[in-house]
Amino acid sequence: MTRRITTWVLPGAMLTAALAIYPAMTLRAAPLLLGLGGLAFVLFIAGQTLPVPGALAWALGLLAVEYLATLELRDAAFDVAAPGYGAALFLCAELGWLGLEARRGGGLWPGRAVVVALLALVGAALGAALLLLAAAPVAGGVVLTGLGVAAAVAIAACLAWLARA
Amino acid sequence: MPAPWATTTSGRLAAYLGLGGAGLLAGLLLSRPEPVILAAPLLLAAAVGLALARPPRLEVDVRLDRERALEGEQVELEVEVRALRPVARLEVEVRLPAGLVQLPPAPEPASSLAAGEAYGYHRRLLCCRWGGRLVGEVRMRARDRLGFFTYREEERHLLPLRVYPPPDELRRLVRPAETQAFVGNEVSRLKGEGIEFADIRAFVPGDRVRRINWRASAKRGQLHVNEMHPERNADVVVFLDTFTDLRHPPAAPRNPAALMTSERESSLELAVRAAAALVGLYLRRRDRVGLVGFGGTLRWLRPAMGERQLYRLVDALIDTEVVLSYAWKGLEVIPRRTLPPRSLVIAISPLVDERTVSALFDLRSRGYDLAILEVTPLAFVQPGRREAEKLAYRLWDMEREALRGRFLEMGVAVTAWQPGEPLEAALASAGALRRGLRVVRS
Repeated sequence: MTRRITTWVLPGAMLTAALAIYPAMTLRAAPLLLGLGGLAFVLFIAGQTLPVPGALAWALGLLAVEYLATLELRDAAFDVAAPGYGAALFLCAELGWLGLEARRGGGLWPGRAVVVALLALVGAALGAALLLLAAAPVAGGVVLTGLGVAAAVAIAACLAWLARA
Repeated sequence: MPAPWATTTSGRLAAYLGLGGAGLLAGLLLSRPEPVILAAPLLLAAAVGLALARPPRLEVDVRLDRERALEGEQVELEVEVRALRPVARLEVEVRLPAGLVQLPPAPEPASSLAAGEAYGYHRRLLCCRWGGRLVGEVRMRARDRLGFFTYREEERHLLPLRVYPPPDELRRLVRPAETQAFVGNEVSRLKGEGIEFADIRAFVPGDRVRRINWRASAKRGQLHVNEMHPERNADVVVFLDTFTDLRHPPAAPRNPAALMTSERESSLELAVRAAAALVGLYLRRRDRVGLVGFGGTLRWLRPAMGERQLYRLVDALIDTEVVLSYAWKGLEVIPRRTLPPRSLVIAISPLVDERTVSALFDLRSRGYDLAILEVTPLAFVQPGRREAEKLAYRLWDMEREALRGRFLEMGVAVTAWQPGEPLEAALASAGALRRGLRVVRS
């Protein structure tokens, strides 16, 4: 029990708190945003203690909403920290689920730890590449938006095909 | 063809796909790259997890270091799992039948296997209770590389393990009233060639000179010879009542030490243990020993001698179980050759079932030498707290006394055997009772 808390729940909660505080730090008047972050933190803790896996997904969603709301309120063009934030959000999700699995006797094995670390790094790199692509001086339009929709549909189709296979 | 693996999907995969999809949608709606960037690691993890996830293919082999063991001994169980396809994480659990305990009771370790790699799981099993067991129910739980899927399968590679009761060191037995024709350890009532002195009689032509009792001949002025009792074997049939099994309420924790104590045994377990000890010692004395398991299922073994018969008898005993039956059974269902004339029948029974009691009366009426070892049911039943319950218990006890009295009137020694009491003491008391009843010589 203690090992589960110290290994998974505590780092996960700390990372959740950091992810909840970070957007508010970049914006002066942000009690509403902090409220969203606080709710995400409470949901994360509730998800671990009750345990409710669904609460964990909602906590991650709220953190993302808080971050995106901050960007909208700041009216910033691009946030260079977004890839890092995305990787941290992924690690937070992994820590949360590992905490839940540890309740049932599961745990992290070396192969999985390596893959998770690699995914976080590759995810951040992918995010950085997307950010660079977005920053490219290309005028938007219906064609590009259509391409974006097509790409999103293609990703969803790929995932559905993999899930079926 | 191996059974398909039962697959369980983690809620994490659905959450990643949901959040990733929402991120893509938000990116389109907000016309910003950040939602897509946040969704990228989640979608990447889901994609990689789905691409790498494949049900494992394993070959399982179960081995036991032996097929027979004595109660209290340890046996080695080895489960070898060979992966035909890489497995990120594999947990193997061997489900043990009742009466076997894993030593030490540690959780099952997990391992990862590359294609073609094999892993051996070694377990030491303590045989806590006698009986025929089937070992080899292997449960496997595998995970994919990212833990999105859990695969479960159960394979049965059942191996027989026969656990025998430990040999009980008995020195005295219930002596038979009659003996048979073969040479054995029992002093016969008849006169003939032997060691034990029986009588003196007048010399008749054909008597051996070495048997002349010179002192008696000189005294009486006529040749007299010694007569001897020959040493013969006996036919012994153990009559095991399998209609009833009385148990203590399960109160104690089921640890190995608690399982090994005889005080927690049921009446049938005690009866089987006693029967195994008796047949072993009678066979060592060169007697012919048979078995009748009288219950819902009738089982019998004709009397015979030797080591092979010992194994047959003990194998039959450890497979003994109570089978519920309401059908009335009498002696007519027992094959005639199972109960040879002039055999000693030792009945081991709690004397609770009417069918057994009636069969035993019938046996005695047919002239069999009968001794009853009563595994007393009083030890398994509490008198109760209320006055009516106590009264019912006393009445039941009195009924049992009356039953024992009826058997005694017929010349049958009934000896009560309490759980925890040495079998030797019960047998000694049966011997004394039989001498008092003049069934056997003192």
